[in-house]
Amino acid sequence: MKKLAVLALAGLMFGTAALTFSMAPDVYDQALCNRNHMLCREYTLNLDAPWYKVMVLLTACDIGFGKCMLGL
Amino acid sequence: MIAALALALGAAAGAEEGAVKRLKAAEIAGPENAEDAAVLGRPLALALGGDVLFVADAQDCAIKVFSKEGRFLRAFGRKGQGPGELSFPSGVAAAGDRVLVADKFNSRVQVFDRDGRPAGAFAVPFLPDKVHALADGAVLVTGNPTGKRKGEAIVHVFDRSGGPRWEGVEAGFSGDPTYDAFRNMILAVPGEGADFYVVFRSGERRVLHFASTGALIGTITVDERHASRPIDLPFKRGKKRLAGFCWAAAFDRGLLYLSAPAPVDGKDLGPGREISVIDAAGVLRAVVALPRPVHRFVVEGQRIFGVDDEGELRIFEVVR
Repeated sequence: MKKLAVLALAGLMFGTAALTFSMAPDVYDQALCNRNHMLCREYTLNLDAPWYKVMVLLTACDIGFGKCMLGL
Repeated sequence: MIAALALALGAAAGAEEGAVKRLKAAEIAGPENAEDAAVLGRPLALALGGDVLFVADAQDCAIKVFSKEGRFLRAFGRKGQGPGELSFPSGVAAAGDRVLVADKFNSRVQVFDRDGRPAGAFAVPFLPDKVHALADGAVLVTGNPTGKRKGEAIVHVFDRSGGPRWEGVEAGFSGDPTYDAFRNMILAVPGEGADFYVVFRSGERRVLHFASTGALIGTITVDERHASRPIDLPFKRGKKRLAGFCWAAAFDRGLLYLSAPAPVDGKDLGPGREISVIDAAGVLRAVVALPRPVHRFVVEGQRIFGVDDEGELRIFEVVR
């Protein structure tokens, strides 16, 4: 029973990894995500906006970067 | 008519040692600039050069040239990647007969003559933010860290031809790129010789003083009377308090000019209307009250050239 549970867990992990890697962007896309993230931050830091707004926009840049890297 | 503010402060200090002089600046009415090219879209840097003022307009991908009375004279640069073309110019500096431009999204520093003709460029391995000319011909360039790795330098010095000379001031790294962006916001200002100062916009009350070789000349601890403004911001790993120390900075005739941030709508921080005048020992010598807040400014004697919240060029004169 215990052996079966370990095997099921291992299967689940491999399945998740396979799914994640199949969705992960290739090297070119990662470079694009990095570039877009950098541009987003630079535009934001040069907005002359109050700091709270800058913080919100920088956070949006980070979320956009995360989504880009996950291929969403 | 125009006496140097530094001289005025010197006289004041002699009379009242330790006292902070309260000065006011009045706006000088500028000429009407009717041309479309005179309108500033996103003015991100100002530089005085001889008898003119250069303004880097990132939106129009151009450098706009004004007289010291605010009259629009000409513009140069256009959007693109070729010689003389710019992509988001975020910094400008005058270096004798040359004008240096931080050509951000082309990752280079582009050189123009004073009439706007392209005169060379050198690539930099980061997105340049501000550029400054040092007295020995060296070129000081700052960059915003990406926030993705440890050990990124945010201040770089190149020789006249663009060869790397020194890089330093390591960006703080916590793994939260948003928090780190605030911690690593700096302002660099050239001093009188080939030296320069680095001011952190939040947190640090210290100003770092470097030679153009990168050697640290000293650290100036700024007078407590130049008050930091705290702000609590909700970062990824919880709320953190930042001490807003400086919104913009300039240097003129041995004095550092630091504008303190000011509260905006109760909970936010924006540009302030007061400029602290700090001497080489970090002592607050005077406070200049402007009629309106400015995002960035340069100082020459009693004149202050700034950009306000609407992106308008404003010229002020300190009233004695």
